[in-house]
Amino acid sequence: MRAAALLALLASLVAGSSAPVAAEPLADTRARVLVWHAYRAAEEQALLELIARFNASQSTYRAEALALPYDAYASKLTAAIPTGHGPDLFVFSQERMAVWARDELLAPLDEDAIESGREFPQAALAALRSGGHLYGLPLSMKCDALYYNRALIQTPPTTSDELEALAIRNTDRAAGRYGLAYEANDFFHHAAWLHGYGGQIFAEPTHRPQLDSSQAIAALAFVRHLALEDRALPEEPSGTLVAQLFNAGKAAMVINGPWFAGEVQGVSYGIAPLPIVSATGLPAAPLLTVEAALVSSRSPVQAGAKALARFLVSTEGAALRARVGRQVVATRSAYTFPDIGNDPLLTAFRAASEKAVPMDNSPAMLSVWEPEKRALVSVLSGANSPTAALAQAQRRMLAMTRISPPVQSPWPYAAIAAMISIAWLAWRRRLSLKRVTARVSTRRGELMRAILYCAPAASSILVLVLVPFAIGIGLSFFHRADGHYTFVGLANFIDILASRDYRVSEPMSFWFTLAVTLLWTVVNVAFHVSIGLGLALLLKNPLLRFKGVYRVLLVIPWAIPNYITALVWKGMFHRQFGAISALLSALHIQPVSWFTGFSTAFAANVMTNTWLGFPFMMVVALGALQSIPQDLYEAADVDGASAWAQFRHITLPLLKPALLPAIILGAVWTFNMFNIVYLVSGGEPGGSTDILVSEAYRWAFQRNEQFGFAAAYSTLIFLFLLGWSAISRRIAREQPLENA
Amino acid sequence: MTDVALRGVHKSFGENPIVRGIDLDVRAGEFTVLVGPSGCGKTTLLRLIAGLEQPDAGDILIGGKRVNDAPPRERGVGMVFQSYALYPHMTVRENLAFALNLRGTSRVEIEQRVREVAEMLELMPLLDRKPKQLSGGQRQRVAIGRAIVRRPDVFLLDEPLSNLDAALRVQMRGELARLHQRLKSTIVYVTHDQVEAMTLATRLAVFDQGKLQQHGAPLELYRRPANRFVAAFLGSPAMNFLRGRYSNGHLAGDGFNVPIGALSATFDGRDLLVGIRPQAMTLAGPDAAVLRGEIEAIERLGNEGFAYLKTPAGPLVARFDGGGAELAVGANAGVQLAPESLHLFDAVSEEALA
Repeated sequence: MRAAALLALLASLVAGSSAPVAAEPLADTRARVLVWHAYRAAEEQALLELIARFNASQSTYRAEALALPYDAYASKLTAAIPTGHGPDLFVFSQERMAVWARDELLAPLDEDAIESGREFPQAALAALRSGGHLYGLPLSMKCDALYYNRALIQTPPTTSDELEALAIRNTDRAAGRYGLAYEANDFFHHAAWLHGYGGQIFAEPTHRPQLDSSQAIAALAFVRHLALEDRALPEEPSGTLVAQLFNAGKAAMVINGPWFAGEVQGVSYGIAPLPIVSATGLPAAPLLTVEAALVSSRSPVQAGAKALARFLVSTEGAALRARVGRQVVATRSAYTFPDIGNDPLLTAFRAASEKAVPMDNSPAMLSVWEPEKRALVSVLSGANSPTAALAQAQRRMLAMTRISPPVQSPWPYAAIAAMISIAWLAWRRRLSLKRVTARVSTRRGELMRAILYCAPAASSILVLVLVPFAIGIGLSFFHRADGHYTFVGLANFIDILASRDYRVSEPMSFWFTLAVTLLWTVVNVAFHVSIGLGLALLLKNPLLRFKGVYRVLLVIPWAIPNYITALVWKGMFHRQFGAISALLSALHIQPVSWFTGFSTAFAANVMTNTWLGFPFMMVVALGALQSIPQDLYEAADVDGASAWAQFRHITLPLLKPALLPAIILGAVWTFNMFNIVYLVSGGEPGGSTDILVSEAYRWAFQRNEQFGFAAAYSTLIFLFLLGWSAISRRIAREQPLENA
Repeated sequence: MTDVALRGVHKSFGENPIVRGIDLDVRAGEFTVLVGPSGCGKTTLLRLIAGLEQPDAGDILIGGKRVNDAPPRERGVGMVFQSYALYPHMTVRENLAFALNLRGTSRVEIEQRVREVAEMLELMPLLDRKPKQLSGGQRQRVAIGRAIVRRPDVFLLDEPLSNLDAALRVQMRGELARLHQRLKSTIVYVTHDQVEAMTLATRLAVFDQGKLQQHGAPLELYRRPANRFVAAFLGSPAMNFLRGRYSNGHLAGDGFNVPIGALSATFDGRDLLVGIRPQAMTLAGPDAAVLRGEIEAIERLGNEGFAYLKTPAGPLVARFDGGGAELAVGANAGVQLAPESLHLFDAVSEEALA
């Protein structure tokens, strides 16, 4: 009976964990308006101050802010709002507006539209419109402008020809100085050139992305010229590198958004609009993102949320955000304050935003980033021509925006699944039911206790492993498009295995990725085992001194979180500033652009993962080596075995029972080693070094959120590893168990 | 057939001298047993001969050739380890064939030689088993088989019987003796068991504290031990010793005065260590007794037995005939000794006196 009471307690604990914990303060009876945001530092401070003012200004609502980590912000919103756990008001750019509007997560703000027309720039409002409705009130506008170091540039360039000339003049590669530094491989920054050359991301009137237009090719050729002919841009630029160069006076000009101002230290700089493209006479119009206050359609206090939104974009609210948060606010009247209207940063970006092109808020935009980035990287590394790269990007984009497979009836599948489970159950029953029931009837009390003991672990396995697993498998039979799931049967699997939309030899094909994954696994495990075993043999040497020290040092790579290692290595592989290039230069070897070719990028991944993987094998091998009796070697010595023969005939066979399970395990780990591939090569070049898991991740989170397709990918990975474990179990079973 | 010679061999482990200047000749075809208590250096000596250890000084000669710098495989020795050191992942057949395979012996010849050895050692039914599936005695035979299949010039055996139970040990002892008869090869055998040493050896080398104490035929050592250590080490139960001053046919010590018969006049007034094997010291009636003491323990073997006495001259072991039913622990008993079986040693150097 005590067992039953404990079970009940446990059940209530599990159930209670999801119940609300925080109690409302008794004193304040105003309706709560929950605000979600991902602001940090000054921007957050401004928001919090405005919320405090809002709360003090009226007696109906009480706003409360919650800061979320930026990385998971969008998916949290997508998941939380429909279930009623989301915010009442939240801050987000127009990026997903159309999807959210279509899924009816957003409350229209049309009543505000008319007066808004006077108060906000048209571009900002356009960005926040979808299907004829206005869905947000614009808080701030973010777009690129040209930062220039006043010590190096007296007059900022007004045309692209001037920009190029200045960039060349200020570049001194020997001194590590560049005329122009920006994240040229990021499409957000590149889009300005596309617009400047008269191009657009979306072709009209179909309003579908068209990445390989002649204007796009011209724009890419221009940047290619800057990077490869003029050699005026740093290679493999990252945000950190750009900031470092500019702060060190080693970048004369930088193209970046208003957030960059916060990173500049100790440099006197000016901000100018991006120049006019000389070839077309058109301004290089940057992409404009508009940060807006959005109201959840599920909010019970929509009126309060809207009131707060209006307060945030009011002249008072905007002025405070401009002053404290340093935001380029969209509210025009805020610029009538002299301190704001004359602020060089704010006015410069406000001017830039007037020429900017609002980023499309439809879901198709989401499938543009990855192909564009791949195209930019391959062209700027010299691996591809703009024409070929953009043609590839276009095909890639089309493949990624898969056409929905035909909807199927789930019933035949359900029937087959039911039949299989019944047959399986019947088979299991025949095997073991008799024994189980016999035991159960004789020891009922013990069974209860056993269940109680197992319950914590079993329930967490159920919740953390089995349920997601089942959902994953189930998901793989659905297609997700426009936020809705449709049952498509095996279509995802067929599309993957038949390599539809792309050739088998292309990086996006399952088979290509599978081959890369297998190669990746075999090469890595081979290195792990040989290096690990070699070091273990060295450490076992009785003549070696300071063994303890070496052992600790060699285990360190294993002890450090692998993403940190991955990021460190990623930095070391940088073509210009990485430690490896420095080492090669010191040896008078030409530094390598690691991520422009498959073999070097693959090698970089392998090196990083080998660094991470050998200690495990070393530890296993060391343990196993120490359990081999020394007299076997002496016997072999007397029997006439050379050192090599001893290794081959004594060490290896006796290591096998310990090493084989480690190899099997290591193979599974390596097969799914997402972190290294994602962080070191990121799949470069052109996705060719992606492995199955990282590819599955991209399908889920970088390519239109095709969760069903990604789930089918994951299911295939699972089946593959299931097969591998079955085979390896057989191999392991063939092992002699008689080893002493 | 090959002889083995050691010339002034020294070996230390760290600060610890283990082998201290050994000169030893093992004649070709002889069964030489190295015997001594634990830690006397006998196993180290064997490993030096095998090449598993390097001497700090001195030379090791096998077949007249200096082999100090030769690795084990070039010394033509076969070795049986105390732990047997069978390769656990190989079958008996593979264990036996391992050395031959390494030498590139032809398949046919390997087959034939393995079979020959297996038949000799009755291993035929076990050839496809792994060592773990064998009993102690069987493993021991495989270990011997592995050594002889290569037909080495010299066999080195390191306490090969110590892991076996008593009955098996006696049986294997017999088999080893027969094997030597048959192979007629040079064998160097290490043991701490003096029964093995006595029964197997053609010649016996007794070691203590890293030094060779005596080297010779077993009976010669038994009869004429060169010093107190050898005298005490060989024979069971161990030899009795009386320490005292000799004069006029008597050995007198603290609280005792034992008639030991007339010795040469040169011993008169000299301190001696007198050894008497228990077999030569018998329990005696009150009139014949030369020394009396209290019985502390009795070992009855059936047709004879040994009584352990506490006497004024120290603890002594004396033999008795028959079942000894009349004897009781705690009772008083007297002993007599056969003067012709005395071993005389210098009281200080403990070396035998002629």
